[in-house]
Amino acid sequence: MGNLTTRLGRLATVALSGLFLATSGSLAEDAGNLYNTNFDINAGLRYFERQCSRCHGFDAKGNDETGAPDLTGRLTRASTEVGIFNIIRTGIPGTAMLPVASDLPDAQVWQLVAYIGSLSTNPANINLSGSLTNGASLFTNKGDCNSCHMIDGQGGRQGPDLSRVGERRSPEELLSDMLNPHADVAPRWWTIRVTDKSGLVREGLRMNEDSFSVRIIDDDANLWSYPKNQIASFERVEESTMPSYTQTLSDSEVDDLVAYLFSLRKEN
Amino acid sequence: MNRFPLLLTGIFLALPLQAQEDEFQTVITPAFSPVTWERLVNAESEPENWMMYSGTLDSQRYSRLDQINTDNVTELEMKWSYQIPVIDRAETVPTVVDGIMFITEAPSNLTAVDARTGRVYWRYDHELPEDLRICCGRNNRGVAILGETLFMSTLDAHLVAIDARTGNVLWDVEVADYEAGYSKTAAPLIVKDKVVTGIAGGEFGIRGFIDAYDPVTGELEWRTYAIPGPGEPGNDSWSGDSWKTGGAATWITGSYDPDLNLIYWGTGNPGPDWNGDVRLGDNLYSDSALALNGDTGEIAWHFQFTPHDVHDYDSIQVPILADIEYQGSTRKVMMWANRNAFFYTIDRETGEFLEGEAYASQTWAQGLDPNGRPIRVPGMAPTYEGILVSPPIVGATNWYSPGYSQQTGLFYVTSFDGEQEFFKRDEDYEEGERFTGGGGRYNQPMDAFHSSIRAINPATAEIEWEFPIMPRSSAGITTTAGGIVFTGSADGYFFALDAASGEELWHISLGARVHAAPMTFAVDGQQFVTIASGNVVYTFGLKDN
Repeated sequence: MGNLTTRLGRLATVALSGLFLATSGSLAEDAGNLYNTNFDINAGLRYFERQCSRCHGFDAKGNDETGAPDLTGRLTRASTEVGIFNIIRTGIPGTAMLPVASDLPDAQVWQLVAYIGSLSTNPANINLSGSLTNGASLFTNKGDCNSCHMIDGQGGRQGPDLSRVGERRSPEELLSDMLNPHADVAPRWWTIRVTDKSGLVREGLRMNEDSFSVRIIDDDANLWSYPKNQIASFERVEESTMPSYTQTLSDSEVDDLVAYLFSLRKEN
Repeated sequence: MNRFPLLLTGIFLALPLQAQEDEFQTVITPAFSPVTWERLVNAESEPENWMMYSGTLDSQRYSRLDQINTDNVTELEMKWSYQIPVIDRAETVPTVVDGIMFITEAPSNLTAVDARTGRVYWRYDHELPEDLRICCGRNNRGVAILGETLFMSTLDAHLVAIDARTGNVLWDVEVADYEAGYSKTAAPLIVKDKVVTGIAGGEFGIRGFIDAYDPVTGELEWRTYAIPGPGEPGNDSWSGDSWKTGGAATWITGSYDPDLNLIYWGTGNPGPDWNGDVRLGDNLYSDSALALNGDTGEIAWHFQFTPHDVHDYDSIQVPILADIEYQGSTRKVMMWANRNAFFYTIDRETGEFLEGEAYASQTWAQGLDPNGRPIRVPGMAPTYEGILVSPPIVGATNWYSPGYSQQTGLFYVTSFDGEQEFFKRDEDYEEGERFTGGGGRYNQPMDAFHSSIRAINPATAEIEWEFPIMPRSSAGITTTAGGIVFTGSADGYFFALDAASGEELWHISLGARVHAAPMTFAVDGQQFVTIASGNVVYTFGLKDN
C-alpha cells in the first residue's frame, strides 16, 4: 500500500509537473526548490520555530533527549533538497519524526527546505581570499596544526579530526576557532585533572564523563578510565588546549588556513 | 485451556535437564486473580504486586519489600530483559499482578509477560492514524487495572479497555479528537468504580480536562475541565476568549485519598506556552494542583503554582500524599516538587500552603509569598530577542515520578540546575496546529549544567542531601523498606542510593537513557526491581545462592 501510494505520488508529480508547486501532499522528485528567496527562508524559519523546534530545538541543533538530530550541519538521512522535502512530507516511519499536515501546500514545505538549507554553508556560495596551497603548507609546517589534529589519518590525537571540518564549521567559525579557541569549547575537548587516592595527578582530554565514571586521553595518547568513587577528586578545566594564533600567524596566513580548512569535505 | 499445558508437563518432566524443568515451571504458575477496589486501596499491604502507575493511591512509590536492602543490594544481578520490538524510548512503568507483568510500549502498545522470566503471554498493538498530533515523542507510561481489565491511553486520544488474560479489546472509546491536537500518554487511575484519566495536547491550544469512565461500558461518567467555562469561577482569569485554547493539559497520573474522597491531579502550562500577551490574567487552573471529589469530579480546591506562566512550567508532577509530623501535629499533606523549581508542602484537606522553597536553580521568582504564590522577578518573560531564565523549558524537574520513604520521611526528586534563552513569537490559533508562541535555546552544552537526586524534608522544605549525576535525567524514583532509593540517569545508569544518607550503594550501566521510573515486586518469595532503559525493560534480583 505504501509503495503504491509512493508510486502514485510520483506519477502525479510527473503528470502535473507544470502545476507542481500548486499541489500539496505529493513527494518531490527533481523539480528543485524554487522557494529559496530570503522571504521564503524567513517563512520557513517561522514554520520551523512553530512546528519543528520542540524536538529539533529553537536553534535547530537537535536534542539528545528527543533523539531529534542537529540540522545545522551535514544531514545523515538526506543529502539533497528533494530528500529533505520528502522526509518533511512523509516523516520517518517508526520514529517521532511525523509527517507535516497532509494539506500543507508544497510551497510551504519548500520554504522549510530552504530554511534548513540556510542553516549550513553552501561552499559554492563562498569565495574565500586565502590560498589553499599556502593553507595546507601552514597546517603542517609553521602552524604545526598536524601535531594535534588529523586529516585523512595523518596527524595528532590531541584535537578534533579535521578531515571534514568544512562540512560543520563556517569560515567565520574557523577564524574564531583559531583566534579565540576558548570561546566555544565542546565538552569533549575540556581537560580533566584526576587525583587518585595516593595523591597521583593525571591529566588528559575529556573523552567522556558520566554520573559514575570519567575517561581521558593523556598527552601520550594513553586511555584512562576512572570510577568516580575510587579517586580522591577530579577537576574540569573548561578551556581548550589549543593556542591562539593571533600572535604566531599573520592575517593573510590565517586566511590561508581558513580557506584550506573550509575546503576539507567528503567530496574533496 | 488447561489441557495443553498439562500435556506438555508430561513431556517436559520426562526430560533429564534440570534447567528445562525450571523453565517450564513458569508456564503453569500465575493464578491471576481479579484486582478489586479493596485490593487497590490496600495495595501497600501486598507489596509483591505493583498494581498501578505509582504503586499505591498515595503515589509514594514506597514498597514494603525489604529482601533487597542496603546490606545486600550489591548482590543484584540481571534476571531477564525484555526487548521492546518498536524502536523508541520507553517511559513505561510496568504493572505486576500475581506474577504477570504488563508493559506499555511506544507508540501505544501493551504486552503481558511472565514477571519472573520476561517471556510473553500476549501482545496488543493499537492501530494509530498516520497524522498524529503529538508534541514530544511517542510515549506511553503505563496502565491501570480493575477486575481483570487493563485500561490504557493511546496517542490518538483514545482510552482502551483490554482483557488482562488475553489482550483482547473489550472497548475502545475516543476521549477527544486527535486532529484537534489531543493525545493521551499517561496511565489512568482507578478511583472506586471509575477509570479516571487526563489528556495531553498543551502545545496545540486544547482545553484540558480530567475524565471518569465506567470501566465496564466505557461511558463517560463525568468531565471536569481544567479551564473554567463562562460563568464559572476562574473563567475571568483569561482575557477574551483565550480560555478556549488555553491548554492546561492533564498529562500525568494523579493520586487519590480514600478517606477524604479526593482525587489530586496536576495541570499543565497555559497556551500559548511562551506568549502570555494573548491570555492576560492568572489563567486558572493552568499549572495547578486540583483536588476533585472522587464521585462527581467537582473541584474541591485548587492551588496554582505558577499564575500566568510564560515559561512552560507545567505542574505535571505526580502528587505524593502522606501524613507527616508538622509543627507538633500530624498533618495530611501533599508534597510537590514543581517544574518551576519550587518545592511545596500543602495541606491536602484544604489546599492550604504550608511550606515552600526553591530546591533547584531558578532566576524567575524572588521567592514565595505567605500563600505560596510566587513573587516574580520583573523582566523575565520571554522576548523576541531571547532572555536567559532558569529553570529552562524542561524544568527543574518534570513528569517523571518523585518518591517518598516512610522510613526516612524524606521526599526524593530528580532535579536539574539549568538555564535557557526563552523566545516569544506571535502565532494565531489554528485547530490541530502547534500553538506555543515561542521556544527556547540552550547557550551552553548540556554537560556544563548540573543535576542531582535531592532529598527534601517536607516539614521544612529543606534539602537534606543530594547525589550529583550528569544532566539531565528524566528517570523517576522508587523507595523501599530496604532503605533504598532506586533511580536512573540520562547517561544510562540504574543505581541505588541509601535513602537516609544519599550514599551510592550500587550502580550498573544499562547503556541507554532511563526515561522511566523503577518499580519493585516479588514472585514466589523473591523480590525483583525493574527499570526501562532505552528500548529495553530490565529486571534485577539478588544472586541465587
